[in-house]
Amino acid sequence: MSAQKKKAFQIEAFKHRVVVDPKYAEKTWKILEHAIHEIYNHNASGLSFEELYRNAYNMVLHKFGEKLYSGLVTTMTSHLKAISSSIEAAQGGLFLDELNRKWAEHNKAMQMIRDILMYMDRTFIPNTHKTPVHELGLNLWRDVVIHSSAVQTRLQAILLENVRRERSGEVIDRGLMRSISKMLMDLGPSVYQDDFEKHFLEVSADFYRLESQDFIESCDCGEYLKKAERRLNEEIERVSHYLDAKSEVKITNVVEKEMIENHMHRLVQMENSGLVNMIVDEKYEDLGRMYCLFRRVPNGLVLVRDVMTSYIRDTGKQLVTDPERLKDPVDFVQHLLDLKDKYDKIITSAFSNDKTFQNALNSSFEYFMNLNSRSPEFISLFVDDKLRKGLRGVTEEDVELVLDKVMMLFRYLQEKDVFEKYYKQHLAKRLLSGKTVSEDAERSLIVKLKTECGYQFTSKLEGMFTDMKTSQDTMQGFSARHGADIADGPMLSVQVLTTGSWPTQPITTCNLPAEIRGMCEKFRNYYLGTHTGRRLSWQTNMGTADLKATFGKGQKHELNVSTYQMCVLMLFNNADRLSYKEIEQPTEIPASDLKRCLQSLACVKGKNVLRKEPMSKDIADTDTFLFNDKFTSKFFKVKIGTVAAQRESEPENQETRQRVEEDRKPQIEAAIVRIMKARRVLDHNNIVAEVTKQLQSRFLPNPVVIKKRIESLIEREFLERDKGDRKLYRYLA
Amino acid sequence: MPPRASKRKSAPPNSSSVTSSDGRSVSNKAKTKGMDKIDRLFNTYANSSLGVIDPEGIEALCSDLGVDYTDVRILMLAWKLKAEKQGYFTQDEWQTGLKALGVDSLTKLKKALPELEKEVEEPSNYEDFYIYAFQYCLTEEKQKSVDIESICELLNLVLGVQFRPQVDSLVEYLKVQNDYKVINADQWINFLRFCKEQISFPDLENYDATQAWPLILDNFVEWMREKQS
Repeated sequence: MSAQKKKAFQIEAFKHRVVVDPKYAEKTWKILEHAIHEIYNHNASGLSFEELYRNAYNMVLHKFGEKLYSGLVTTMTSHLKAISSSIEAAQGGLFLDELNRKWAEHNKAMQMIRDILMYMDRTFIPNTHKTPVHELGLNLWRDVVIHSSAVQTRLQAILLENVRRERSGEVIDRGLMRSISKMLMDLGPSVYQDDFEKHFLEVSADFYRLESQDFIESCDCGEYLKKAERRLNEEIERVSHYLDAKSEVKITNVVEKEMIENHMHRLVQMENSGLVNMIVDEKYEDLGRMYCLFRRVPNGLVLVRDVMTSYIRDTGKQLVTDPERLKDPVDFVQHLLDLKDKYDKIITSAFSNDKTFQNALNSSFEYFMNLNSRSPEFISLFVDDKLRKGLRGVTEEDVELVLDKVMMLFRYLQEKDVFEKYYKQHLAKRLLSGKTVSEDAERSLIVKLKTECGYQFTSKLEGMFTDMKTSQDTMQGFSARHGADIADGPMLSVQVLTTGSWPTQPITTCNLPAEIRGMCEKFRNYYLGTHTGRRLSWQTNMGTADLKATFGKGQKHELNVSTYQMCVLMLFNNADRLSYKEIEQPTEIPASDLKRCLQSLACVKGKNVLRKEPMSKDIADTDTFLFNDKFTSKFFKVKIGTVAAQRESEPENQETRQRVEEDRKPQIEAAIVRIMKARRVLDHNNIVAEVTKQLQSRFLPNPVVIKKRIESLIEREFLERDKGDRKLYRYLA
Repeated sequence: MPPRASKRKSAPPNSSSVTSSDGRSVSNKAKTKGMDKIDRLFNTYANSSLGVIDPEGIEALCSDLGVDYTDVRILMLAWKLKAEKQGYFTQDEWQTGLKALGVDSLTKLKKALPELEKEVEEPSNYEDFYIYAFQYCLTEEKQKSVDIESICELLNLVLGVQFRPQVDSLVEYLKVQNDYKVINADQWINFLRFCKEQISFPDLENYDATQAWPLILDNFVEWMREKQS
């Protein structure tokens, strides 16, 4: 230790006496080489870690790192070569075992060697950009062992063979497989992929191609799908047990493609067991399976959805064009509801409520329901039937359910204005005959319609209810006032209807019997007394009457008849026999109504309170009518009045259609004017599109009709054609 | 132009005189002299009690011009005169019209007819003339449409030369269809546009019914296509 005066106190490193032995490197290396040998020969216990570490350290320190490194490489390589041979020598099934064992040993050895050579690993190797020890160990293992031609091919073959055996039902050593595949992963993802996965996928594809071909020839659709599902699950399980997780999606793709995608069409269309059959037979499980499997392949669900859609459309179309079915509107609508329920159930339970399927169902219903122009009428008749008797005794919740389902069908209608017309008619009949099961149900439906279509749609309907209520109050007032003097006469019940809210009726009158006339006058005066400025007209074609009748042997019956029928029957109080003309004259009932009325009184079995001569089916001007003394009926109360709402006859239907068309014209014109007022100038196609959009909640306007309306508006100078561009229309303020 | 009267009337002699006050300037006198001739010509054909040239007069004029009274050139003359009432020329219309034509005698008028034709056929005037032809047929007050018969004749007269095939087919169609019993101004103008817009005829390939053609033309095209298939 040298000390210098007047200098700061310094500490210097303790210096060894360096032994400069020319053979130093070689000697040290030999020690290490020997250690490596021992390690590989499982004789590591006799080694001193500290000493070996120090040796390695010194070599690197004295700049012999290169020699150390290259020595390491050489030594390891030769060891690995020997190992490789021993693996190659292993027979049959022991190959993998041997490989696996040697790999484990190699790893242990590598760890030890690395520990010893840690200094080199941390200094020399980074400085010289050489491969670190651990990685070197892996690379050498890969290059010398795994990629030795014999091992490589054999390894691949055995792995694939194991998979094949497992697929055909044999049990294999999964643990071993796992270790091997982990080994490949450790060697580098490309090793795993190139040496195993790539071939695995290819071979699997071939396997499944063959298998699917075999299945499809021998199984029906349901069975096939079960098998496919099983195979798919198997593969997923296989991956989780002994393959790399990233292989899962690749192998499932292979299965999906080979087993499902390649046979998609054939499966769906399979006779007697395909999609359509599953739907018809309500095979929810099979359908669910199909959905899950087909969801996995591109366009799988599109195919399922398309086939389902065209099936629904076809069956729907058949339903709405089948004359047999159309005979009973209530039955027809019930069928529609059942059909919808069926498909809803399928979509919920098997197709996991898939929105696209729901949409396809909706569009199909919309398509075929509107193929039959009478759908709106029939739906109204269905509702009428329900509100008249169908919902009697049904709980409130269930009523709501039925009405909601009806609303669903209503939404599919393109011609909602036609529905409105019929609904109004039928509602009027129900209200006036007092034949509604539950007013709450009626109101509930009105609310639903209002929510769907807006206030305008239902304002008149609500007006009808109001009128009924008001009439009740009016009657109370009337009886209160005139109670005494009308007590003797026939009991009168009047409903005062606001024109405009109720369906338009043709103006008819007839001569009421004297007794009735008096009462009516009293009421009229009473009413006009409290409501000046109003005009009342008796709607003799809409009223009803209850008559007490006594027949030949004293049988008494109460007859419920229409006003017209009452007028006719009252005549027989003064005569037993009357000719057609003798009836027509005093009553002044219009001919067609009179004929219908007489028919229901004289020609219907069980209701023939009159007899007709001659006994022909039709009413002729020359017929004579007699009071039927011998009339009998099981019931005390006999209903002969006009029946409940029925489906219209062809000519009536035509008439209603015409009226609807007429009603639409002003609506279209109003829409055109509204649009043109806002836009000022617009071309033809856009007007048509806008008008259609505005009116679509009520009906689908015909473009030709729109054009006609435009021309009419041009003629009336609301619009003009643009002088420069013929295709444009201009709003004229 | 279908005039009302059917019998011919011989031209009355050139006997009426025109009054002029003395002390006028030379140019004025020349003008008045010119006016004189025009007025005299007017009076040749005018109905003296009505003070206008009536259908009979027009027929006579036609015969003197050597032109049939149903000839389109008379219609053109009416257009030039801006005649308001069909079958009648007022004195004002006559004066303004003949001055515009730059003629003051029958011979000159006759010579001016071919030029008038050319003038009408100029694109800037043609549409105006075409529309005028329709309005000329609106004889009643508040009348807005013309009956099919007359329209057919008018089409022949006005468009027949330039668009013979279209006119022939259109006229045939108008006569057989029963959607429309009269034609309004909007439909009328669109007939011309139909011909002018070079809708390929007779195949009508480039006709687009979704465009703003009046319905009557849509129906016409459909009828043509059905006929051809």
